[in-house]
Amino acid sequence: MATEHDEGVPAAPAALDAVSVERAFRDRPSFGIRARLVLGFLSFVGFAVVVIIGAWILLARLEDRLRFLEAVDRYTMEIQQTRRFEKNYFLHGANLQDMQDHLAEARRLLVAAEPDAAKVLTATELGRMRRHLDGYESALARLVAGAAGPGAAPAERSAIEAALRDNGSQMVAVALELAEKERASVNRTLALFKRLPVVFLVLLLAFSVIVADVLARQMVRPLGRLMNTTQRIAGGDFTPLTPSRWYRDEFSNLALALNTMMRELAHRQEVLVQSHKLSAIGTLTAGVAHELNNPMNNITLTAEMLREDYATLSDAQRLEMVEDLVTQVARAQRIVRNLLDFARESEITTERLDLGDVLRAATGLAANQIKLSGAKIAVEVAENLPAIHGDRQALSQVFVNLLINALDAVRKGGRVTITAGPAREAACVQVVIADDGCGIPAHVLPKIFDPFFTTKSKGKGTGLGLSVSLGIVRQHGGDIRVESAPSRGSSFTVVLPAAMVPRVDPTGSGPPTPSPASRPAPRA
Amino acid sequence: MERRLQVLVLDDEPIVGKRLQPALAKVGCDVEVFDAPRPALERLAATRFDIVVTDIRMDDIDGIEVLEKVLERWPDTRVIMITGYATVELAREAMAKGAFDFIAKPFKPQELRDVIAKAAEALGFAGIAHAVVGESS
Repeated sequence: MATEHDEGVPAAPAALDAVSVERAFRDRPSFGIRARLVLGFLSFVGFAVVVIIGAWILLARLEDRLRFLEAVDRYTMEIQQTRRFEKNYFLHGANLQDMQDHLAEARRLLVAAEPDAAKVLTATELGRMRRHLDGYESALARLVAGAAGPGAAPAERSAIEAALRDNGSQMVAVALELAEKERASVNRTLALFKRLPVVFLVLLLAFSVIVADVLARQMVRPLGRLMNTTQRIAGGDFTPLTPSRWYRDEFSNLALALNTMMRELAHRQEVLVQSHKLSAIGTLTAGVAHELNNPMNNITLTAEMLREDYATLSDAQRLEMVEDLVTQVARAQRIVRNLLDFARESEITTERLDLGDVLRAATGLAANQIKLSGAKIAVEVAENLPAIHGDRQALSQVFVNLLINALDAVRKGGRVTITAGPAREAACVQVVIADDGCGIPAHVLPKIFDPFFTTKSKGKGTGLGLSVSLGIVRQHGGDIRVESAPSRGSSFTVVLPAAMVPRVDPTGSGPPTPSPASRPAPRA
Repeated sequence: MERRLQVLVLDDEPIVGKRLQPALAKVGCDVEVFDAPRPALERLAATRFDIVVTDIRMDDIDGIEVLEKVLERWPDTRVIMITGYATVELAREAMAKGAFDFIAKPFKPQELRDVIAKAAEALGFAGIAHAVVGESS
């Protein structure tokens, strides 16, 4: 209750004027919800594009590998073919042309596959391959040149045969090894491809969760803040919203709109308070007019009789009549001054108030309504009740409102008790205005503080009394509670913070506790 | 010699009775003044008055109740009500319940004398009526 209010009030009017708050909102860079959604979806698209490009590159590489593997297979085949003809040549003396053809084809394949091979093989392996091929080729060339012909020296022939066999077998071994290596690499790539969808799915899921969470956070948090604000507004706190983020978006615009609404509401409330006051003055004026009739009647009768019998009256009698005139004029003056005090449109000024004084002033102001209602009024003020800080006039308006409501609720001969004492809340005082009247039906109870809600007949009540009263009490950092049982009566409890008295430390060592100035100043 | 008009004045403002006593005595009325309804009703229970002048708005017992009690006990007594600004409705109610007339505060003594003269005339006190009219002109 009171504490909640204390936080909101002190910083309010000076630092947070509407213009600077609005500028603070407008100065922030714009980063709307649409932009954030677009960014979110773009990041998805980007992610998909990266994955697709990656897959495409992998596929292209796989294709290269397969082509290379094919080339390696063909190369191996050509080499094996050459070796078959080599065997035929040495066993059966077949021609060398077929060998030469297959070897040339193998050379062509090796040259063509070289760029791809460079990626798979190390430079030494490639060098070995080339060396063996070169060796084989030169050996073959020597054979073709006739060095190993039937007429050639057997030593020469067997040397060439050894070179051919050695290089040939090495070439086959290397080519097979290469093919094996390449096949393994292709299998690895394929295995990678098989895993890729699973990895992609997991990544996509994680990414979606993160993006959704971030976006939701950005929507939900400001919504929650705005929702809290609406509750705050309902409670009568019109402190403007300040920017809480570095950027500006649709929620900022909503906050600005809320600020505008709060400004309007605050303004309307002032107008309402004033108009209610005028209507209360109307009610009181009727009462006061009646109240004034008594002294005026006394004055009229006395003055008339004084004139009529002037000559026959004794000096003492004349003096008595003049004294009556003076006291009755003073009485009329007092009644008028009370009303004027109430009606005077002054700014809310806080002063140290004795609750008993305020209550007496309020009952005095409503004296005629009390008489008219025929109800019994009992006012009890606890002894040593702490003083309060507040606006005398505004608080007396609250008690007049509650008192008149109580009087309306009781039948003739009913009782209204006004009890001032310490409240249940710490450092608070309370005034309970209880009646034994008709009570408030349960379905009406939640609405009684709403502006314009009234159960009084048309023209008798504005429906503003309780709403304005609650506004005033909240401005003072207090609250109004109501309890009611139909046909048993109602009681309204006004809780107000007590003014803190500067206490003198008994030991004299510490500084005095904060003075009443620390109480939040009610907003005007 | 004709009987003097017996008048009871009841108003919780003591000054009213204090001023009306001589004002009405002058025109030939025997006036008894009360500033609280209870003693006045006790007196009325025992004694008949020709005219009762009572304020409507009083603590405890209001003028309407006084009117009812008087007419119940003394049906031919004339009751004149004194009313204020906010009790016009009550005055109307009083008239319906048999009040002779009402007079609104603030009033001059002569205005009450005129109403009393009318009531006296209705009761057959012609002399008083003349005296009152003579006094006023």
